[in-house]
Amino acid sequence: ILVIKCCLFQGGLADADTIFALSSGYGRCGVAVVRVSGPASATALRSMAGHRLPPPRTALLRSITDPLSGEMLDRGLVLWFPAPHSFTGEDSVEFHIHGGPAVITAVLQALGSVPGTRPAEAGEFTRRAFQAGKLDLTEVEGLGDLIHAETEAQRRQALRQMSGELGHIYRDWSHKLKRCLAHIEAFIDFSEDELIEDGVLDQADRSVCDLQSQIEQHLRDERRGERLRSGVHVVIAGATNAGKSSLLNTLCQRPAAIVSPIAGTTRDIVETAVDIGGFPVLLSDTAGLRESADLVEQEGVRRARERVQQADLTLLVVDSTCLPSDVQRAAGFLSEHLRNMCLLVLNKSDLLPETQRQKLKMELRGVSGLPAVCLLSCQTNEGLKDFLTVLQSSVKTLCGDPLAGAPTLTQARHRAHLQQCVAALSQFQRYRDSDLALAAEGVRLALTSLGRITGRVGAEEILDIIFKDFCIGK
Amino acid sequence: LLQHYFLSLVSRSVGHFPRQHYDVIVVGGGHAGTEAAAAAARLGAETLLITQKIHTIGALSCNPSLGGVGKGHLVREVDALDGLCGRAGDWAGISFSILNRRKGPAVWGPRAQLDRQRYREFMQSELLSTPRLTVMEGSVEELLVTDPNPEQPGQHRVNGICLGGHPISASSVVLTTGTFLSGSLFIGQTTSPGGRIGDAPSSAGLSHTLRERLGLKVGRLRTGTPPRIVKDSVDLSLATLNPPDSSPTPFSFMNTHTRCRPEEQLPCYLTYTTPGVERVVRESLHLNCHIQQDAKGPRYCPSIESRVLRFPGRRHQVWLEPEGLTSDLLYPQGLSMTMPPDVQLRLIREIPPLHKAEIHMPGYGVQYDFVCPTQLSPSLQVKSTQGLFLAGQINGTTGYEEAAAQGLWAGVNAGRRALSKPPVALSRTESYIGVLIDDLVSRGVTEPYRMFTSRAEFRTSLRPDNADLRLTLKGFELGCVSSSRHQKAVRVKNSLQDALAALQALSLSTTSWKRKIPDVHVSEANSNMLSGIEMLQYKDVSFQVLASIFPEVLLPFMEFSQRLKIEAVYRPHCESNKREIQRIQEEENMSLPEDIDYLSLPVSLSQEVREVLHRARPSTLGAATRLEGITPAAVVNLFNYVCFAEKRKKTSTRSSFSQQSKW
Repeated sequence: ILVIKCCLFQGGLADADTIFALSSGYGRCGVAVVRVSGPASATALRSMAGHRLPPPRTALLRSITDPLSGEMLDRGLVLWFPAPHSFTGEDSVEFHIHGGPAVITAVLQALGSVPGTRPAEAGEFTRRAFQAGKLDLTEVEGLGDLIHAETEAQRRQALRQMSGELGHIYRDWSHKLKRCLAHIEAFIDFSEDELIEDGVLDQADRSVCDLQSQIEQHLRDERRGERLRSGVHVVIAGATNAGKSSLLNTLCQRPAAIVSPIAGTTRDIVETAVDIGGFPVLLSDTAGLRESADLVEQEGVRRARERVQQADLTLLVVDSTCLPSDVQRAAGFLSEHLRNMCLLVLNKSDLLPETQRQKLKMELRGVSGLPAVCLLSCQTNEGLKDFLTVLQSSVKTLCGDPLAGAPTLTQARHRAHLQQCVAALSQFQRYRDSDLALAAEGVRLALTSLGRITGRVGAEEILDIIFKDFCIGK
Repeated sequence: LLQHYFLSLVSRSVGHFPRQHYDVIVVGGGHAGTEAAAAAARLGAETLLITQKIHTIGALSCNPSLGGVGKGHLVREVDALDGLCGRAGDWAGISFSILNRRKGPAVWGPRAQLDRQRYREFMQSELLSTPRLTVMEGSVEELLVTDPNPEQPGQHRVNGICLGGHPISASSVVLTTGTFLSGSLFIGQTTSPGGRIGDAPSSAGLSHTLRERLGLKVGRLRTGTPPRIVKDSVDLSLATLNPPDSSPTPFSFMNTHTRCRPEEQLPCYLTYTTPGVERVVRESLHLNCHIQQDAKGPRYCPSIESRVLRFPGRRHQVWLEPEGLTSDLLYPQGLSMTMPPDVQLRLIREIPPLHKAEIHMPGYGVQYDFVCPTQLSPSLQVKSTQGLFLAGQINGTTGYEEAAAQGLWAGVNAGRRALSKPPVALSRTESYIGVLIDDLVSRGVTEPYRMFTSRAEFRTSLRPDNADLRLTLKGFELGCVSSSRHQKAVRVKNSLQDALAALQALSLSTTSWKRKIPDVHVSEANSNMLSGIEMLQYKDVSFQVLASIFPEVLLPFMEFSQRLKIEAVYRPHCESNKREIQRIQEEENMSLPEDIDYLSLPVSLSQEVREVLHRARPSTLGAATRLEGITPAAVVNLFNYVCFAEKRKKTSTRSSFSQQSKW
């Protein structure tokens, strides 16, 4: 086996991982193509689409299932490309599946659970194709570049998809960072026997600090684009028998979860992908929160709590008949259950007298510190329309308006580069006083990370800034 | 006595009747020429150095100093390859300091003021006693150009020179003509041909051959030098004293101390320009033709004229530097000027310590031709001309150290060519010399090129302290390093490795370390074990401290305490550089054939890209990626083209693999 590997990878560039990625564009579309390449491709295909490999390069309609749970994820076309007759020259598989974000996410997750696989890095398929000498020259222009797959190609792709506004922010940071670096480099290369004004370093210091907090700020509120891509995680939580599973069924318009009057019916998490006003939502129903002696239920409650921790949005379902009749006390009662991002759903409104309903509606609206409160009945669908409007606007806030903020498919990579950038800037802070060369290295790394989004920065460019800003002369 | 000794050597060498053939001929005895000749001879090539006057070999035409930030790195690397300038600096230095001492060892700048006389003495004695090296006075009139060897790329071949009407043949010729190639001197409104005051201009035939016969593209650059000032006429009490380091650090890895004793060192003095200086410059602009010319001067070493014109209304630094232990002159660093001598005197007297100063020799400007260095390969051979190597200012650089570095490398390759060995290149990932040469040959120059540490991508790995580890072993394989230096480097390398292994093996819990070194604040976050290397990374932990705790393991390595501290601190950063270094080295290893015709290459390339490649003729794929205007797609296409044959081979291997896998 070793010898065979050596033959295949004699270029010394390829590695033995099996990689997978969505190869078609993100967003809602009819068909999405997920591509897998590498030695474990056949295993992945067998475990997800039936034990017999299809004939090479022939499209077959198969059920695509999760290799662990056996749950069916989608029905779609699968293709098997044994090496060397594939795009990458390696064993490859393609899944042509339905283009909904939830389906795509599910299939990618399933692939990730196959041993020996990992998500592909940007340009990695191209790189492998390239190493195998497979690249069609006419395709190259669009596919980017082996050598600078990490920088040039990503940058171009990213820039093309980046909205003007976001691009502007990144370029502005890059520009500021370039100046910082130029000033630090000037201080290193010139200051002692060639006059550099005092305070250059302090100024660079302040700029670096400033930039670092700006980027951190940007990272904090900018997961919206990624949510739009992978779905907003919405969790339904609340006490037992509040009607959580009913709400799930109502929202996905099918009996996805078992509903019964018995408290504690839902033990495990029931997940389903739904479309809320055009936004992808991954909806989870959870076990009712209560103390229980039942081991299975205890585990269910633990999972429910865990899921609430990870959620983008919690729908807190309360049985409105259990509310204290005094509205002020009801508000206090509800406040105790609040989480950061949540909607209050007061279920079973049909069981309340009309006067009580009106009173609740009117007065809870006026209580400060409470999130949006929706009174509804899953039984009669009363109040459902209003609830959907509120839910939709919350989801929309979480995703951002794609027309205004325009998150891009490279968002996750942007995030990674920005995170590296912030980490590198803290290297500057760490070494600022003890070793300026290592501190400058931090700024160089930060600029490289940012450069993966905005473009490469060469030494000459830094020197140009130095000579423009300083009078240097011996 | 010394003088007598040198003269006897000189006459012996001159009296030697030149042979008809040498392996290598080096033209020029400046910083590039001396290193080139010595390196070629070390390699085993029978070498001839031709210079106008033997007694100006090793002359410091401009500032009496060596090293500095970035430049000091080059000196250390030249020394690691057994070049001359580091040892010459240790011999001639009269004031040593390490610049940037507080900014981290990666950017320390070893620097020394030099005694001009001693520097010349050292260089001349070294060269005149180098085996296989003949030094001869003369002015080369012409290069001997002939048809190329058809088995190698290139349209021409240089196989010797013409000296006093006599041809002398050689396998390789290294031109290090400095500012002499079509050089003109400027003072005020007078212009005269020449490359340095007091020396004859070089032959017009040489630059004609380069341009017309060999078709090389040349450009024009300018530089200048300040007036030399009579020391007794300067009131140094009005300037700020700047003392050297109390304990001089030698440049050379072979030296433990400098010739100059610490207490013998001379200080420098700092003073500033006044508004009067600016006034004199403005009033005399019409008398100053050098400043009106449009040849590009260096931005970082500008004349006083361009400084006050570009940044008016400020005071500018002027350093008053000693010219030697016994010299009665001072060198005013920062006052390079080209106005008429009487105006120069007026100008310097506007500076307080120079109120009554006398000028010994006025400053002047030089304009000279340089050969656009993109026409060179990384071995510093002219791509179109077999056997012709260029080094130093002729390639558009400035500075002694830059010249010496190129000279050494051109000498190594000229020698290798003569000995029928393939050319060698230094990577920019392993040395500043590599950065310098790669920048020159792949990007070219628009102004005189000076080394800065910011040009090196891998600055934290390419440090002055580890130049021997990076280059000496490699240099020994190439034959340009003596066995004594090699043995020393091997011993250092092994000792450092052993010491680092010993430090790594010292693994203690945070609490134990705290008990042993109570005054160091060990971070609580590291609750697990810490090795000696990790402890050494703490600012206040020195190797000496660790050695006092573990004397039996660490005391044997005390002589390397400073290097070990640096290694430990930089280790994690160098590790993280490794991947990027590897990527660049892979690209650098993919060489592009020199005879590739980019204009007609049957590959999908835009016309624009074709022209860039045609002009620059990058020697490796790595160099191509750094060219301006090269798209990633173009790089991919090039790569595919170059690997075509190899690719075929791979495909056949791969199909045999697929059969195996079916089995």
